[in-house]
Amino acid sequence: MNSYVSAISYYLPEIILDNSEISVQHPEWSIDKISSKTGIYSRHISGNNEFCSDMAISAAERLFHDCAINREEIDFLLLCTQSPDYFLPTTACIIQDKLGLSKNIGALDFNLGCSGFVYGLGLSKGLIETGQAKNVLLITAETYSKFINDDDKSNKTIFGDAAAATLISSSKKGVSGKIGNFTYGTDGSKHACLIVKNGGMKHRSLDGINIFDENQGFISNDNNLYMDGKEIFNFTAFEVPILIANILKKYQLNLEDIDLFVFHQANEFMLQTIRKRIGIPSEKFYIYLKESGNTVSSTIPIALNNAIKDGKIKDGMKVLIAGFGVGLSMGSTILEF
Amino acid sequence: MEIEKFVNNFKDQFIDGDEISFKLETEFRLIESWDSLTGMSIIVMIRDIYGVDVTDFEFKSCKTVLEVFELVASKI
Repeated sequence: MNSYVSAISYYLPEIILDNSEISVQHPEWSIDKISSKTGIYSRHISGNNEFCSDMAISAAERLFHDCAINREEIDFLLLCTQSPDYFLPTTACIIQDKLGLSKNIGALDFNLGCSGFVYGLGLSKGLIETGQAKNVLLITAETYSKFINDDDKSNKTIFGDAAAATLISSSKKGVSGKIGNFTYGTDGSKHACLIVKNGGMKHRSLDGINIFDENQGFISNDNNLYMDGKEIFNFTAFEVPILIANILKKYQLNLEDIDLFVFHQANEFMLQTIRKRIGIPSEKFYIYLKESGNTVSSTIPIALNNAIKDGKIKDGMKVLIAGFGVGLSMGSTILEF
Repeated sequence: MEIEKFVNNFKDQFIDGDEISFKLETEFRLIESWDSLTGMSIIVMIRDIYGVDVTDFEFKSCKTVLEVFELVASKI
């Protein structure tokens, strides 16, 4: 039995934060210089009363409508999020109800970030190929903007909110990608490099204070998203090429055998560094960042959706996807279209 | 390790590497296009081309290209 990525849709919130607005908020920030490196010119931000489940539902409704999918056929729901509506219950249960999905399905959240889509495909493949499900709805949804401190211009520049809905099926439908084998990686020793420290059971109180450097540049607040950019960069620059080598080895393929590489869209500078270190030609390296930024677990499905629309992905192609980030966690697989 | 090649490799990490010129004594952080991402890129370049690990702390202690060159040379 095989599993296929059969359809992808996504939702971006209505509110757009573009670079000119960030420049107004932070006049000391050379936004044009940074944008030319990050490749990000605008990002979408969830509204004050717009949460993970709202965005997830919008993405799923778009999937059902645009791809003519019968919601009654969904027999498992997976939600990848780090910004759930509540500690409990599982946001996937709320989504099952609001989407009007069958009550005879499994539904669960899993907490991963930038590697989450790849892990979601792995879980979906496992459910399908062990006969537990035929049509898995995998939703990735994040409202990282709600974690970001208003003074944190670096993270504000990079991250955007989004949700993506992907149907994984036991049969091929339209332009479908057969999900292959996986290579995973985890290094929890670096968990503090990308973290929201306060609010969980270990540090329950939201008593963080803003910490600034000697030039009054924002460093961190434990209530908010903290990212050690240098550590994340080093992890990505040096570990992702190993991940890619391992997945190719698993398949006994060479770099040239892959038609398109779609990686987690962290930022363009990081992506180009990895691309050069691996030796991927730029024409085989898909980038989709300009208008949505780093949407965490949704960057790969958003990029795949656009690559299919752009005609960059066609039947017969092998597409290597890789997700990497918070955890630190990474994963890769090959989709055969 | 040739110093001229090292300077060129160093310069290539700047977004406007083709347009700028600097001497060994130039304080590279004062170049307009310098930013922390350029610094990360230089550390990766040093590891890739010269097989040397330079820590963030060591790199921060260098002000000029010559100082970075000497640091790398001391580790080869």
